[in-house]
Amino acid sequence: MKPFFRYGLLFLASLCTAFAQDKVTVSGYIKDAANAEGLIGVSAYVKETGTGAVTNNYGFYAVTLPKGTYTLVVSYVGYKKQTRTIDLTADARLDLEMTQEGRELQEVVVSTKREDDNVKNIEMSVNKIDIKTLQRIPALLGEVDVIRSIQLLPGVSTVGEGATGFNVRGGSIDQNLVLLDEAPVYNSSHLFGFFSVFNPDAVKDVKLIKGGIPAMYGGRISSILDVRMKEGNAKKPEVTGGIGVIFSRLAYERPLFKGKGSFIVAGRRSYADVLAQPLLKGDLKGSKFYFYDLTAKVNYHINDKNTVFLSGYLGRDVFGADFGFNWGNETASLRWNHVFNNKLFLNTTGYYSKYDYSLNTDLKQKTPNDYFRTDSRIIDYSLKPDFTLFLGKSTVTFGGQSIVHDFQPGTATAASAGDVRVFGLSHKYGVENALYVGNEQQVTTRLQLQYGLRYSLYSYVGSGEAYTFDQTTPVGLRRAVTSTTQYSSGQAIQTYGNLEPRLAAKYELSPSSSLKLSYNRLAQYIHLISNTTASTPLDVWTLSTNNVKPQIADQVAGGYFLNFGPTATEYEFSVESYYKKLQNQIDYIDGAQLVLNRYLEGDLLTGKGRAYGAEFYLKKNRGVVNGWVSYTLAKTERQVEGINGGNWYPSRFDRRHSLTVVALIDPKSSVAGQPGRWNFSATFTLASGTPATFPSGKFEYQGFADGYFQGRNNYRIPVYDRLDVAATLKGKQRVGKRKEDNWVFSIYNVYARKNPFSVYFRPDPDHPLVTQAVRYSVFATLIPSVTYNFKF
Amino acid sequence: MKRFIHLAFFSLSISLLFGCETVITTKLDSGPTLLSVDGWLTDQPGPQTIRLTQTTNYFNNGPAPIASGAAVTVTDNTGKSYAFTDPDNDGYYVWTPTAKDTLGRIGRTYKLDIKYGADAYTAQTKMNRVPTIDSLIFRKKKRNPFSKTEGYEAEFYGLDPAGAPDYYRMKYYRNGELQNKTNDLVSVQDASIFTNSGNTDGLQFIRPLRRAANPDSLYALNDVVKVELLSITADTYLFLQELRQQLNNVGLFARPATNVPTNIIGATGKTATGYFVVSAIRSRTATVTAENLRPDE
Repeated sequence: MKPFFRYGLLFLASLCTAFAQDKVTVSGYIKDAANAEGLIGVSAYVKETGTGAVTNNYGFYAVTLPKGTYTLVVSYVGYKKQTRTIDLTADARLDLEMTQEGRELQEVVVSTKREDDNVKNIEMSVNKIDIKTLQRIPALLGEVDVIRSIQLLPGVSTVGEGATGFNVRGGSIDQNLVLLDEAPVYNSSHLFGFFSVFNPDAVKDVKLIKGGIPAMYGGRISSILDVRMKEGNAKKPEVTGGIGVIFSRLAYERPLFKGKGSFIVAGRRSYADVLAQPLLKGDLKGSKFYFYDLTAKVNYHINDKNTVFLSGYLGRDVFGADFGFNWGNETASLRWNHVFNNKLFLNTTGYYSKYDYSLNTDLKQKTPNDYFRTDSRIIDYSLKPDFTLFLGKSTVTFGGQSIVHDFQPGTATAASAGDVRVFGLSHKYGVENALYVGNEQQVTTRLQLQYGLRYSLYSYVGSGEAYTFDQTTPVGLRRAVTSTTQYSSGQAIQTYGNLEPRLAAKYELSPSSSLKLSYNRLAQYIHLISNTTASTPLDVWTLSTNNVKPQIADQVAGGYFLNFGPTATEYEFSVESYYKKLQNQIDYIDGAQLVLNRYLEGDLLTGKGRAYGAEFYLKKNRGVVNGWVSYTLAKTERQVEGINGGNWYPSRFDRRHSLTVVALIDPKSSVAGQPGRWNFSATFTLASGTPATFPSGKFEYQGFADGYFQGRNNYRIPVYDRLDVAATLKGKQRVGKRKEDNWVFSIYNVYARKNPFSVYFRPDPDHPLVTQAVRYSVFATLIPSVTYNFKF
Repeated sequence: MKRFIHLAFFSLSISLLFGCETVITTKLDSGPTLLSVDGWLTDQPGPQTIRLTQTTNYFNNGPAPIASGAAVTVTDNTGKSYAFTDPDNDGYYVWTPTAKDTLGRIGRTYKLDIKYGADAYTAQTKMNRVPTIDSLIFRKKKRNPFSKTEGYEAEFYGLDPAGAPDYYRMKYYRNGELQNKTNDLVSVQDASIFTNSGNTDGLQFIRPLRRAANPDSLYALNDVVKVELLSITADTYLFLQELRQQLNNVGLFARPATNVPTNIIGATGKTATGYFVVSAIRSRTATVTAENLRPDE
């Protein structure tokens, strides 16, 4: 690895000098003047040449031009446009700070990016939501939620409300790479899926990439959810917080090192248990049920060439009386931004990510002779250098990643009448390496290309046991182990390599419309083992092994993008369609045993998947009423030998139609020049019912009646529709006081519809011969809430 | 007021966790009619019965359509044959022993043959060993942590024999009446009721199993309680686990509904449902009286 980078750098340095003979580069960081946060996606546009650049994830940009005098226009929605005249005779450093526009305008910003981004950016199948929009969307119980909010975007669905995770373009939930400051988060939910783990007070930017995934990303095959944390206010100390129905939140941020750095620390905790404590008596006394998360980040701007960031997340859900159950994530990432010269930028990330759970039947140790305890955890360690080379008409990205996976699928201790047995599974190890190179190139003024190649190499390594299974067993039944081989530490058991080409093209039909096309192949070497409708915190991840092949997805997508309105920036429209092919999708035999099963691989089936659809998106950027409408027409299917007679069947999260409307309403104030104190928002969701397996008959056995089934997912549950509304009342701003506060009133499920999560068939629990169909609704009523937020 | 707020929060968190169930009607297509075999024979004295019915529409909650006129025979590995007959055409096929003879012997294998109309079906199973239940006692308990009503909770003790995996089904009776709600279908692997939860071979039955022979209401004083252990085969154990899972397959974490396994094999290409089992039974009966009461733990 190391020599590669050394030679690579030498090569690139010579490349730079070759290019640099008659051209010069202007580069630097663009930050928010209010708090010195780096701004992502700011457009730096050179008027004379019509070329320009966009700031990267750290707010860094670079533009290469022939020597001369130019006008540089720096613009970002919601910020004052800046025009600078620059006289370029040699490479120059130009760091800029941008000031937010008047409050009134800022409130109606739907997303932070350049105004014509929809058409001009080569990215397709990408949705960004900034935190201000997130905070406006009516939220369940008033808790601003990243994961729930992205479900309002085209191409994103869920198996049902309250289910953990999300499904992108027909992919399952484990196919989304959820990154928090570049560290993956394995379980993005609190309370089984009702709330997501991201504290809105600490989130700066959310970006979902559904297709045309650049070469720098890999490891999951459906999407990348890139959540970036705030850096902390580098200008002045700030406290934000809130009291909601579920969480109380508090965040503190301040400058460090005389303005050369800053930090933010933000925490949330649910407090229903504190309020309920006086009611818990007898056996319930001392019951625990709470969840919390703590997010922290610190950065230090060492000098013009070096900046370091350290971020961490710690979250946990704890439930228990006599029986205890808890789970949580921990992540830590250390990043180093290094500017080699005006053209070469390096970000190196090292991260650690852990997910674990534990379960104990005798939390209070009342019955020391009889108990059962189990726990499981996964840990990732990774190092990831990412280079960006700005070469004027093209931007080259290259780098690599190494991940070490250390999975402990489960340990267990059981005691019965004083006899103690310790059992469980041994650690499993995997090493993932990847190298990539990509180029973004302005071919003509109208045509832009982004192409790249990623090579991923994965090894399932010892120490550990590898198994072979009986291949003569009929498909669909448990395969017995035929042999076991021991491997020593670091010894490769099985290796898989995949070339993952990435391609995207943009052709501008006019200044306000473009066509985009993309293709990507992605490979995934770790898999979530779950056969329930909603994933549970107990679901374990498994590595690719000699028996479990890596998942592979190929996706092509094409789209038409249009901006229109009086200044061609008021409305954005896009239509995209995609086709996705999935290989080596995991499914399960009937009666599969997924936890604490040493021979789990013998209970797994593999199959194919395909998904295709069209996504329509119309967004109004400004005005008293703004927001978006999205409609998705989609189909997603699986074909697995041993299920549904080997025929294609719709996957559990297949929704043919989904429509979402997000309306943000900002009434004009009666006092001119003053923002209104009230604003409103509403979301409406309408979606086809998900597929379910309905019986075609029943039989009786030993006094119980059970269904007889023909095929998988052969019916659909009823349509889902829901309206949510919210109103925000801003506190009166006092002259000379920094304090800002607001009250958010929201109603989830306004017309109290009993939306089906599922329909199942079962005997009446008290009369096991009487069979019935049951519609299960997670939230069967309207849910009002009030939240108070403050900042000073 | 404060108390009200507390209650509101508490009920909110509970309702969030459990959602809402509504019984609905829906249109269902009927599949083909299949033969269903409910054949559970034992080593106990007295007549042995195999019930044959037909599958029916899922929402038909009348009595299952009977399958009469079949020829039903059970043969063991010693060549001994037992004819099951249905003289009153009610779908119950009965073998009545002469004198003190019983059908089942531990260690023997059994084959079931059914000729029904133009079709023939077979099934094979084995009668395995079963341990004794050493004791059955009661403790005074609240029905559940939220309840003030008290009752008597039964706990039975027994030791799983060491070596070779053993499988059982546990059944229990209150005042002679079999308790048979969907939660009462309990199958056991060695000393444990959790599949593959590791090695519990040769242990005292684990506590959740020892306390599984209880109705929701618990018992009242002077109730007569009988607990039975029935030996089963490994494949029967998987069938019962699947059946229990399917009968309670509800909520956020339901699994895809699927057919439970069957060991009834259609010789003429037709499939059937149900299972053929031959069990050895050991049981213990006790009355909820002072001498069987133990202090609460």
